[in-house]
Amino acid sequence: MSADDVADDVDGDGAGGGGAEPGNGPTEADEFDDRPGLYVESTVIMTTVRVVAPFVLTFALFIMFHGADSPGGGFQGGVIAGSVVMMLAFAYGIESTRRWIDVRAVVALAAGGVLAFVGIGVGAIVLGGQFLQYTEYERLLDHASKYGIELVELGIGAIVASVAIGLFFLLAAGFTHAVEGETA
Amino acid sequence: MTLTLLEAALLLFVVGCAVGTALLEDTLAAVMAFAAYSLGVSVLWLVLQAPDVGLTEAAVGAGIMTILFLLALSNTVTPDADRILEPVRWRTVALVGGFVLLIGVTVPALPAVSDPTAPVASGEVTTYYLENAYEQTDVRNAVTAVLAAYRGFDTLGEAVVVYAAGIVALSVLRREVFA
Repeated sequence: MSADDVADDVDGDGAGGGGAEPGNGPTEADEFDDRPGLYVESTVIMTTVRVVAPFVLTFALFIMFHGADSPGGGFQGGVIAGSVVMMLAFAYGIESTRRWIDVRAVVALAAGGVLAFVGIGVGAIVLGGQFLQYTEYERLLDHASKYGIELVELGIGAIVASVAIGLFFLLAAGFTHAVEGETA
Repeated sequence: MTLTLLEAALLLFVVGCAVGTALLEDTLAAVMAFAAYSLGVSVLWLVLQAPDVGLTEAAVGAGIMTILFLLALSNTVTPDADRILEPVRWRTVALVGGFVLLIGVTVPALPAVSDPTAPVASGEVTTYYLENAYEQTDVRNAVTAVLAAYRGFDTLGEAVVVYAAGIVALSVLRREVFA
Protein backbone atom coordinates (compact mmCIF):
# COMPACT_ATOMS: atom_id res chain seq x y z
CA MET A 1 0.00 0.00 0.00
CA SER A 2 1.46 3.33 -0.99
CA ALA A 3 1.55 6.47 1.07
CA ASP A 4 -1.11 7.97 -1.20
CA ASP A 5 -3.59 5.31 -0.17
CA VAL A 6 -2.97 6.06 3.47
CA ALA A 7 -3.58 9.72 2.79
CA ASP A 8 -6.85 8.87 1.04
CA ASP A 9 -7.85 6.78 4.02
CA VAL A 10 -7.51 9.79 6.26
CA ASP A 11 -9.83 11.77 4.00
CA GLY A 12 -12.39 8.99 4.29
CA ASP A 13 -12.23 9.16 8.06
CA GLY A 14 -12.90 12.86 8.08
CA ALA A 15 -16.14 12.37 6.18
CA GLY A 16 -17.37 9.30 8.05
CA GLY A 17 -16.64 10.17 11.68
CA GLY A 18 -18.79 11.97 14.21
CA GLY A 19 -21.58 9.47 14.93
CA ALA A 20 -21.58 8.38 18.57
CA GLU A 21 -22.02 4.62 18.47
CA PRO A 22 -20.26 2.96 21.38
CA GLY A 23 -19.33 -0.64 20.78
CA ASN A 24 -18.87 -0.18 17.05
CA GLY A 25 -15.15 -0.59 16.41
CA PRO A 26 -14.40 1.37 13.22
CA THR A 27 -16.76 4.25 14.00
CA GLU A 28 -15.29 4.74 17.41
CA ALA A 29 -11.85 4.64 15.88
CA ASP A 30 -12.85 7.38 13.43
CA GLU A 31 -14.04 9.55 16.27
CA PHE A 32 -10.63 9.20 17.81
CA ASP A 33 -8.85 10.79 14.88
CA ASP A 34 -11.56 13.42 14.59
CA ARG A 35 -11.00 14.85 18.03
CA PRO A 36 -9.71 18.38 17.63
CA GLY A 37 -6.00 18.92 17.99
CA LEU A 38 -4.94 15.29 17.83
CA TYR A 39 -4.45 15.01 14.10
CA VAL A 40 -3.95 17.81 11.64
CA GLU A 41 -3.70 16.86 7.99
CA SER A 42 -0.82 18.79 6.53
CA THR A 43 0.68 18.43 3.08
CA VAL A 44 4.03 19.66 4.35
CA ILE A 45 4.22 17.03 7.10
CA MET A 46 2.97 14.23 4.82
CA THR A 47 5.46 15.04 2.06
CA THR A 48 8.34 15.43 4.50
CA VAL A 49 7.58 12.14 6.23
CA ARG A 50 7.20 10.37 2.88
CA VAL A 51 10.70 11.53 1.88
CA VAL A 52 12.39 11.07 5.26
CA ALA A 53 10.87 7.75 6.41
CA PRO A 54 12.92 5.43 4.13
CA PHE A 55 16.14 7.10 5.24
CA VAL A 56 15.23 6.79 8.93
CA LEU A 57 14.43 3.10 8.48
CA THR A 58 17.76 2.58 6.68
CA PHE A 59 19.56 4.41 9.48
CA ALA A 60 17.81 2.17 12.03
CA LEU A 61 18.96 -0.96 10.22
CA PHE A 62 22.48 0.51 9.93
CA ILE A 63 22.58 1.15 13.69
CA MET A 64 21.36 -2.42 14.34
CA PHE A 65 23.77 -4.19 11.98
CA HIS A 66 26.75 -1.89 12.30
CA GLY A 67 26.47 -1.93 16.10
CA ALA A 68 29.08 -4.69 15.98
CA ASP A 69 31.76 -2.33 14.69
CA SER A 70 30.56 1.12 15.78
CA PRO A 71 28.40 2.58 18.52
CA GLY A 72 24.87 1.30 18.31
CA GLY A 73 23.05 -1.98 18.51
CA GLY A 74 19.66 -3.58 18.76
CA PHE A 75 18.19 -1.42 21.51
CA GLN A 76 19.02 1.89 19.81
CA GLY A 77 18.24 0.72 16.28
CA GLY A 78 14.95 -0.81 17.40
CA VAL A 79 13.76 2.45 18.89
CA ILE A 80 14.67 4.34 15.72
CA ALA A 81 12.84 1.73 13.60
CA GLY A 82 9.82 2.11 15.87
CA SER A 83 9.92 5.87 15.44
CA VAL A 84 9.38 5.41 11.68
CA VAL A 85 5.88 4.10 12.40
CA MET A 86 5.28 6.99 14.81
CA MET A 87 6.33 9.42 12.08
CA LEU A 88 3.82 7.84 9.70
CA ALA A 89 1.13 8.07 12.38
CA PHE A 90 2.03 11.72 12.94
CA ALA A 91 1.64 12.46 9.24
CA TYR A 92 -1.26 10.24 8.20
CA GLY A 93 -3.22 9.79 11.42
CA ILE A 94 -2.83 7.11 14.08
CA GLU A 95 -5.95 5.18 13.16
CA SER A 96 -5.15 4.81 9.46
CA THR A 97 -1.56 3.83 10.28
CA ARG A 98 -2.90 1.20 12.67
CA ARG A 99 -5.09 -0.19 9.89
CA TRP A 100 -2.22 -0.08 7.40
CA ILE A 101 0.07 -2.08 9.69
CA ASP A 102 -1.18 -5.53 10.59
CA VAL A 103 -1.28 -5.27 14.39
CA ARG A 104 -0.85 -9.05 14.67
CA ALA A 105 2.48 -8.66 12.89
CA VAL A 106 3.66 -6.30 15.65
CA VAL A 107 3.04 -8.96 18.33
CA ALA A 108 4.57 -11.64 16.10
CA LEU A 109 7.69 -9.50 15.60
CA ALA A 110 8.18 -9.13 19.37
CA ALA A 111 7.74 -12.86 19.99
CA GLY A 112 9.92 -13.67 16.96
CA GLY A 113 12.74 -11.53 18.35
CA VAL A 114 12.73 -13.38 21.67
CA LEU A 115 12.56 -16.75 19.86
CA ALA A 116 15.49 -15.80 17.59
CA PHE A 117 17.64 -14.78 20.58
CA VAL A 118 16.78 -17.92 22.58
CA GLY A 119 17.12 -20.06 19.44
CA ILE A 120 20.68 -18.88 18.79
CA GLY A 121 21.52 -19.49 22.45
CA VAL A 122 20.01 -22.97 22.58
CA GLY A 123 21.41 -23.85 19.15
CA ALA A 124 24.92 -23.55 20.56
CA ILE A 125 23.98 -26.04 23.30
CA VAL A 126 22.62 -28.43 20.65
CA LEU A 127 25.96 -28.19 18.82
CA GLY A 128 27.75 -29.20 22.01
CA GLY A 129 28.77 -25.82 23.42
CA GLN A 130 27.33 -23.59 26.11
CA PHE A 131 24.41 -21.17 25.97
CA LEU A 132 25.16 -18.41 23.41
CA GLN A 133 28.65 -19.79 22.67
CA TYR A 134 28.82 -18.40 19.14
CA THR A 135 32.08 -20.18 18.33
CA GLU A 136 30.15 -23.45 18.12
CA TYR A 137 28.62 -22.22 14.85
CA GLU A 138 32.13 -21.72 13.45
CA ARG A 139 32.07 -25.22 11.96
CA LEU A 140 28.93 -24.31 9.97
CA LEU A 141 30.09 -20.98 8.52
CA ASP A 142 33.00 -18.56 8.70
CA HIS A 143 32.84 -15.57 11.06
CA ALA A 144 29.96 -17.27 12.84
CA SER A 145 30.52 -15.20 16.00
CA LYS A 146 30.02 -11.97 14.13
CA TYR A 147 26.89 -13.15 12.31
CA GLY A 148 25.51 -14.67 15.50
CA ILE A 149 25.97 -11.42 17.40
CA GLU A 150 24.40 -9.45 14.55
CA LEU A 151 21.40 -11.79 14.47
CA VAL A 152 20.99 -11.35 18.21
CA GLU A 153 21.12 -7.57 17.74
CA LEU A 154 18.48 -7.87 15.04
CA GLY A 155 16.31 -9.93 17.41
CA ILE A 156 16.68 -7.30 20.13
CA GLY A 157 15.82 -4.64 17.55
CA ALA A 158 12.65 -6.51 16.57
CA ILE A 159 11.54 -6.76 20.21
CA VAL A 160 12.26 -3.12 21.02
CA ALA A 161 10.73 -1.75 17.81
CA SER A 162 7.52 -3.74 18.10
CA VAL A 163 7.04 -3.02 21.82
CA ALA A 164 7.65 0.69 21.17
CA ILE A 165 5.11 0.66 18.32
CA GLY A 166 2.72 -1.40 20.43
CA LEU A 167 2.87 0.90 23.46
CA PHE A 168 2.38 3.85 21.11
CA PHE A 169 -0.82 2.34 19.64
CA LEU A 170 -2.06 1.24 23.07
CA LEU A 171 -1.56 4.70 24.58
CA ALA A 172 -3.14 6.35 21.55
CA ALA A 173 -6.21 4.12 21.80
CA GLY A 174 -6.61 4.91 25.50
CA PHE A 175 -9.32 3.23 27.50
CA THR A 176 -12.13 3.49 24.95
CA HIS A 177 -11.06 0.31 23.18
CA ALA A 178 -10.33 -1.53 26.40
CA VAL A 179 -13.83 -1.05 27.77
CA GLU A 180 -15.26 -2.13 24.46
CA GLY A 181 -13.11 -5.29 24.46
CA GLU A 182 -14.34 -6.16 27.94
CA THR A 183 -17.99 -6.12 26.99
CA ALA A 184 -17.49 -7.89 23.68
CA MET B 1 38.31 18.02 39.35
CA THR B 2 38.29 20.48 36.49
CA LEU B 3 35.43 21.03 34.10
CA THR B 4 35.72 22.24 30.56
CA LEU B 5 33.43 25.07 29.56
CA LEU B 6 31.31 22.67 27.46
CA GLU B 7 30.88 20.21 30.32
CA ALA B 8 29.98 22.97 32.76
CA ALA B 9 27.44 24.44 30.33
CA LEU B 10 25.90 21.01 29.72
CA LEU B 11 25.68 20.24 33.43
CA LEU B 12 24.05 23.60 34.07
CA PHE B 13 21.58 22.97 31.21
CA VAL B 14 20.72 19.48 32.50
CA VAL B 15 20.19 20.63 36.08
CA GLY B 16 18.16 23.61 34.86
CA CYS B 17 15.92 21.35 32.76
CA ALA B 18 15.49 18.93 35.68
CA VAL B 19 14.42 21.73 38.01
CA GLY B 20 12.15 23.06 35.27
CA THR B 21 10.51 19.65 34.87
CA ALA B 22 9.76 19.56 38.57
CA LEU B 23 8.56 23.15 38.90
CA LEU B 24 6.67 23.99 35.70
CA GLU B 25 2.93 24.15 36.29
CA ASP B 26 1.88 23.35 32.71
CA THR B 27 2.22 19.59 32.09
CA LEU B 28 3.08 20.08 28.41
CA ALA B 29 5.89 22.47 29.34
CA ALA B 30 7.16 19.96 31.92
CA VAL B 31 7.24 17.20 29.28
CA MET B 32 9.19 19.49 26.95
CA ALA B 33 11.63 20.36 29.73
CA PHE B 34 12.06 16.64 30.39
CA ALA B 35 12.82 15.99 26.71
CA ALA B 36 15.41 18.78 26.76
CA TYR B 37 16.87 17.25 29.92
CA SER B 38 17.23 13.87 28.15
CA LEU B 39 18.85 15.52 25.16
CA GLY B 40 21.30 17.33 27.44
CA VAL B 41 22.18 14.11 29.24
CA SER B 42 22.72 12.30 25.92
CA VAL B 43 25.12 15.03 24.72
CA LEU B 44 26.86 14.77 28.10
CA TRP B 45 27.36 11.03 27.50
CA LEU B 46 28.87 11.83 24.12
CA VAL B 47 31.26 14.32 25.70
CA LEU B 48 32.22 11.66 28.26
CA GLN B 49 32.92 9.32 25.29
CA ALA B 50 30.09 6.85 25.91
CA PRO B 51 28.39 7.05 22.49
CA ASP B 52 26.42 3.81 22.99
CA VAL B 53 24.75 5.16 26.12
CA GLY B 54 24.30 8.59 24.52
CA LEU B 55 22.55 7.07 21.51
CA THR B 56 20.19 5.12 23.78
CA GLU B 57 19.41 8.18 25.88
CA ALA B 58 18.69 10.28 22.78
CA ALA B 59 16.48 7.63 21.15
CA VAL B 60 14.59 6.40 24.22
CA GLY B 61 14.69 9.33 26.64
CA ALA B 62 14.35 12.27 24.27
CA GLY B 63 12.47 10.44 21.49
CA ILE B 64 10.09 7.66 22.42
CA MET B 65 9.40 8.78 26.01
CA THR B 66 8.43 12.28 24.85
CA ILE B 67 6.06 10.86 22.22
CA LEU B 68 4.44 8.51 24.76
CA PHE B 69 4.09 11.35 27.30
CA LEU B 70 2.53 13.62 24.67
CA LEU B 71 0.11 10.86 23.63
CA ALA B 72 -0.89 10.28 27.24
CA LEU B 73 -1.38 14.04 27.66
CA SER B 74 -3.57 14.23 24.55
CA ASN B 75 -5.78 11.50 26.04
CA THR B 76 -6.29 13.34 29.32
CA VAL B 77 -7.81 16.65 30.29
CA THR B 78 -5.42 19.07 31.92
CA PRO B 79 -6.73 22.32 33.41
CA ASP B 80 -5.25 25.48 32.00
CA ALA B 81 -2.32 26.63 34.07
CA ASP B 82 -2.86 30.14 35.42
CA ARG B 83 0.72 30.56 36.61
CA ILE B 84 4.07 29.49 35.23
CA LEU B 85 5.64 27.80 38.23
CA GLU B 86 4.20 25.32 40.69
CA PRO B 87 4.17 26.60 44.31
CA VAL B 88 7.23 25.15 46.01
CA ARG B 89 6.50 22.62 48.75
CA TRP B 90 9.31 22.99 51.25
CA ARG B 91 8.84 19.53 52.73
CA THR B 92 9.50 18.00 49.28
CA VAL B 93 12.48 20.30 48.77
CA ALA B 94 13.91 19.15 52.11
CA LEU B 95 13.37 15.49 51.22
CA VAL B 96 14.85 15.75 47.71
CA GLY B 97 17.66 18.00 48.95
CA GLY B 98 18.52 15.49 51.66
CA PHE B 99 18.60 12.68 49.11
CA VAL B 100 20.82 14.68 46.74
CA LEU B 101 23.13 15.49 49.64
CA LEU B 102 23.30 11.81 50.60
CA ILE B 103 24.20 10.79 47.04
CA GLY B 104 26.55 13.77 46.70
CA VAL B 105 28.58 12.66 49.71
CA THR B 106 29.61 9.50 47.82
CA VAL B 107 30.80 11.41 44.73
CA PRO B 108 34.30 12.33 46.06
CA ALA B 109 34.87 8.60 46.60
CA LEU B 110 34.58 7.99 42.83
CA PRO B 111 37.69 8.13 40.64
CA ALA B 112 38.03 11.21 38.45
CA VAL B 113 36.68 11.04 34.89
CA SER B 114 39.29 9.45 32.54
CA ASP B 115 41.64 8.70 35.43
CA PRO B 116 44.01 6.05 34.02
CA THR B 117 44.56 4.50 37.45
CA ALA B 118 40.83 4.06 38.13
CA PRO B 119 40.03 0.48 39.17
CA VAL B 120 37.60 0.03 36.28
CA ALA B 121 40.18 1.07 33.66
CA SER B 122 43.05 -1.03 34.96
CA GLY B 123 40.91 -3.88 36.28
CA GLU B 124 41.50 -7.45 35.21
CA VAL B 125 38.07 -7.87 33.60
CA THR B 126 38.31 -4.65 31.54
CA THR B 127 41.80 -5.48 30.32
CA TYR B 128 40.69 -8.98 29.36
CA TYR B 129 37.73 -7.67 27.34
CA LEU B 130 39.80 -5.03 25.57
CA GLU B 131 42.58 -7.47 24.70
CA ASN B 132 40.49 -10.45 23.65
CA ALA B 133 37.13 -9.14 22.47
CA TYR B 134 38.06 -8.82 18.80
CA GLU B 135 39.81 -12.15 18.55
CA GLN B 136 37.14 -14.08 20.40
CA THR B 137 33.96 -12.49 19.09
CA ASP B 138 34.93 -10.99 15.73
CA VAL B 139 33.25 -7.64 16.54
CA ARG B 140 35.21 -4.41 16.85
CA ASN B 141 32.89 -2.60 19.24
CA ALA B 142 33.89 -3.91 22.67
CA VAL B 143 30.58 -2.70 24.11
CA THR B 144 28.67 -4.94 21.69
CA ALA B 145 31.06 -7.83 22.40
CA VAL B 146 30.35 -7.58 26.13
CA LEU B 147 26.64 -7.00 25.58
CA ALA B 148 25.91 -9.80 23.14
CA ALA B 149 28.67 -12.33 23.80
CA TYR B 150 30.35 -12.15 27.24
CA ARG B 151 27.20 -10.97 28.99
CA GLY B 152 24.75 -12.39 26.46
CA PHE B 153 22.64 -14.07 29.09
CA ASP B 154 22.07 -10.74 30.89
CA THR B 155 21.13 -9.13 27.58
CA LEU B 156 18.62 -11.90 26.92
CA GLY B 157 17.08 -11.00 30.28
CA GLU B 158 16.96 -7.32 29.30
CA ALA B 159 15.33 -8.08 25.95
CA VAL B 160 12.76 -10.31 27.67
CA VAL B 161 12.00 -7.50 30.15
CA VAL B 162 11.10 -5.23 27.20
CA TYR B 163 8.97 -8.02 25.72
CA ALA B 164 7.30 -8.62 29.09
CA ALA B 165 6.53 -4.89 29.41
CA GLY B 166 4.63 -5.05 26.13
CA ILE B 167 2.75 -8.19 27.17
CA VAL B 168 1.87 -6.72 30.59
CA ALA B 169 0.54 -3.55 28.93
CA LEU B 170 -1.64 -5.77 26.74
CA SER B 171 -2.96 -7.85 29.61
CA VAL B 172 -3.67 -4.82 31.82
CA LEU B 173 -5.74 -3.30 29.00
CA ARG B 174 -7.27 -6.73 28.19
CA ARG B 175 -6.24 -6.74 24.57
CA GLU B 176 -4.80 -9.48 22.42
CA VAL B 177 -3.09 -7.24 19.87
CA PHE B 178 -1.57 -3.77 20.13
CA ALA B 179 -4.65 -1.91 18.91
